[in-house]
Amino acid sequence: MASGILLRRGDPPWTLDYDGRSIPCAPGENVAEALLAAGELGTTRSLKFRRHRGPYCLSGDCGTCLARVDGEPNVRACLTPVHDGQKVVSQNRLVGRGPDPSALADKFFAKGMDHHHLMVRPRALNEIMKEVARNLAGLGTLPDRVDGRGATFRHEAPDVVVIGRGQAGRAASQEIRRRGLRCIALERMPGGAKHDDDFDAGVFGIYPDEGLICAAAVEPRATDRIFTLRPRHLVVATGARDPMILIDGNDTPGVVSARGLVAAMSRQHFRLPDDVVVIGPDDPGARIARGLNARHLRPQDVERIEGSDAVDHVRLTDGTRIDASLVVLAPRPGPASELARQAGAPVRWNGAGFEVQREHPGGRVPSPGPWTLWAAGEVAGVPTGRSAHDGQVVAQALCHREGAES
Amino acid sequence: MSHRVFVCRCEDVTTHEIEDALDRGLSTVEEIKRYTGLGTGPCQGKECMCTLVGLLVSRGLADADAVQPFTARPPAEAVTFGALAAVPESPPEKGGAS
Amino acid sequence: MTVTNEMGSADAALPQRADVVIVGGGVMGLSTAYQLMRLSKGRLKVVVIERSYLVSGASGRNGGGVRMQWADRQNVELMMRSIDICKGLAQELGINTWFRQGGYLFLARTPQAEAQLERNAELHHHVGAPTRLLSPEAAREIVPQLDVTDVRVATYNPDDAVVFPWAFVWGYAAQAVKRGAVVRTHTSVERIEPEPGGRDGFALHLSTGESIEADTVINATGAWSVGLNRSLGIELPNHPHRHEIMSSEPLKPFLDPLVVDLACGLYFSQSTRGEIVAGVSMPSEGDDADPTEINLGSSMLFLGRLSRALCRVMPIARSLKVLRQWSGPYDVSPDGDAILGRTPGFPNLIQMCGFTGHGFMMAPVVGELVARNLVQGKDHPVLSRWSPGRFDDPSYTGRGETMIIG
Repeated sequence: MASGILLRRGDPPWTLDYDGRSIPCAPGENVAEALLAAGELGTTRSLKFRRHRGPYCLSGDCGTCLARVDGEPNVRACLTPVHDGQKVVSQNRLVGRGPDPSALADKFFAKGMDHHHLMVRPRALNEIMKEVARNLAGLGTLPDRVDGRGATFRHEAPDVVVIGRGQAGRAASQEIRRRGLRCIALERMPGGAKHDDDFDAGVFGIYPDEGLICAAAVEPRATDRIFTLRPRHLVVATGARDPMILIDGNDTPGVVSARGLVAAMSRQHFRLPDDVVVIGPDDPGARIARGLNARHLRPQDVERIEGSDAVDHVRLTDGTRIDASLVVLAPRPGPASELARQAGAPVRWNGAGFEVQREHPGGRVPSPGPWTLWAAGEVAGVPTGRSAHDGQVVAQALCHREGAES
Repeated sequence: MSHRVFVCRCEDVTTHEIEDALDRGLSTVEEIKRYTGLGTGPCQGKECMCTLVGLLVSRGLADADAVQPFTARPPAEAVTFGALAAVPESPPEKGGAS
Repeated sequence: MTVTNEMGSADAALPQRADVVIVGGGVMGLSTAYQLMRLSKGRLKVVVIERSYLVSGASGRNGGGVRMQWADRQNVELMMRSIDICKGLAQELGINTWFRQGGYLFLARTPQAEAQLERNAELHHHVGAPTRLLSPEAAREIVPQLDVTDVRVATYNPDDAVVFPWAFVWGYAAQAVKRGAVVRTHTSVERIEPEPGGRDGFALHLSTGESIEADTVINATGAWSVGLNRSLGIELPNHPHRHEIMSSEPLKPFLDPLVVDLACGLYFSQSTRGEIVAGVSMPSEGDDADPTEINLGSSMLFLGRLSRALCRVMPIARSLKVLRQWSGPYDVSPDGDAILGRTPGFPNLIQMCGFTGHGFMMAPVVGELVARNLVQGKDHPVLSRWSPGRFDDPSYTGRGETMIIG
């Protein structure tokens, strides 16, 4: 087991059970944070190469912190608050003696694995391979019991729906409410001070043909709520995320995304160990490294990240070895434009991701839905530092248009 | 240990699998997604799609001004069948719980 | 880097003239192309023209079910042959098809459905298909998670199967190309016209500005066939219908058969990757719109209806999560039977359309019998029964297959 890569300032009062081991945890933390703090970095094995994988994005986007929590499979550890006595079980991670499965995969599939043409012939071998593959695939097993909790449904038709309560979304919703319009602001990662019309729910679907925006409470599902919304204006302020940086060993447990880590630290006041490395271009890598008091490396100078079940060190192209227990990837952020695209927004490649194309000035976006669509902040390619201002500008344009119409 | 650079961690797609797809004549984001499985796992491309596009653009295999992402479809968040089953066949026009 | 273009290419060079031009690079067209090349020992000049990329249409959007449980004797027999082909198809095509014979389990909750399943079981027994009538309790032994409260009877056929559909398309394409066929992707047929000078061939005008002549044209464009036929003044009664489908997050294997609940048209299976793949019958509204418009959108209406049906039939699904929804076009024929064979007035235009949602599973056998007809002159009863001219025949009853799902 590796050492913890998130350090707390005090002793946590609770414990959770992870694969039979007792892990300390504190109110307000999520399961991924508790595991990282305990040095439990691997929550699963990868599909083909059977590599150790664990929490990476720390913000509900990636697929490798999925665990079985209190009898329910495929729960995102990074979205699930801890509670005392919680039962967390790793998934797809055959525990036992014998050779390390990832070492076996490395031996037999050193270059790669072409699953389309793997052991096709003869048929008898193919039949065995299919059965093995079927059992290696899949993540969680079925829930322990039938979920008897019913979900509650609510439909709303406010003036405005804002998706995201980051800098742009918060600024936009405050300005819109200040001008007297009813505005529901949705946020998938709960936390922070809230207005009555701030719902903790993630939008999972935008259906322009049906005129519906659909949201549901993400983890925890103790209180399952689902919403349909039919606003006259839709403001997408979904921000950005860190795309993967192409470096050998970039999947090693203990490699995390800069955005997710910075957000976790601001929520929970964790400290970091001394041997932290930030890999990314000068902007934003150098800035993030300064903020984390960590060493900054440019991707082109890194040969590979080494370690099997946890990061051990980073090897540079000049042969230098830098010991590290935590590697932070800080690429240029890519706009999180999936929901805007569901709403039919046009997007263009900006070198890091697909940003929403707005009509200037004001931030309106051409769209097929029955609402007027707007985009604010990083999702439209606006830099982090100007996101709050952009949210306000979009809100003013929206209210101006609303005034002109009514 | 083997050296592997991952583009998509959900489906274990490395740069090697991308090269293989390109060698077979597949060239668009949609084709590479389907052949390699990139973006079809639990993250649905949130982590990997932009990395793939960046790779294609940097090699001159995609036009930066014209390239488009693969189709965005619901759900953008994990949502349970149980929650979805609570939505009535035709949602009411006015606000309120049901 | 050597690019093999083994699955077709936008750059594949077209001959000026071909013996057979197949319009549509779906599984139907490519299975036929492969069989034409195989049976003619590479002597025929065959060109496949696909408007987009391979697996972009219905062949890439279906649930991958392959069954012999039909109501019509001929369909049962055809599908027994198709399943027989599928057993060795991975080896024949040199690609993993992930063909898995977990059976199909049909549930009847109404007296009508019960009578249907009893008729099926008797017919299947008569033609040698291993379908068994089961009590609700016996159905639960096969899938213990089912709620069989008001199930009257079930049928189970252990030879029915699920597959990974995309591999069929890629495998047929690669084998056709290997034998000398040309597979041109990202190119659509804008217009088709009879060759001048009294010959029975055609000239096809392409979106790239190119033209190609052909002695025989096969219309294997499925839901897109209406537009192509209209360019020759041909009106056939098939029309596109959007069919929606979804998949869940991956789970360890627990579900062997594909389950169909006839009461609501729900079907679900578990793929090799562990996802539950499911669809449900939806209203046909919108089908009267322009039949040359294909709607591939997704709806909340579907997601809600599917979820209610799935949670009722398999309550453990309540806490399982949806990963993705999408849709594909059914090419619906008014009597549920395909539209297959020579077109009235255009003997060298072969229709391979109207498969009403079961084209994928029939493609291995139908490609074979169409190629046998063209290369060896062999007839098959379905070529007259499914003839495009049947709708004009005074003895046409309008009765066809009734076991259409979805």
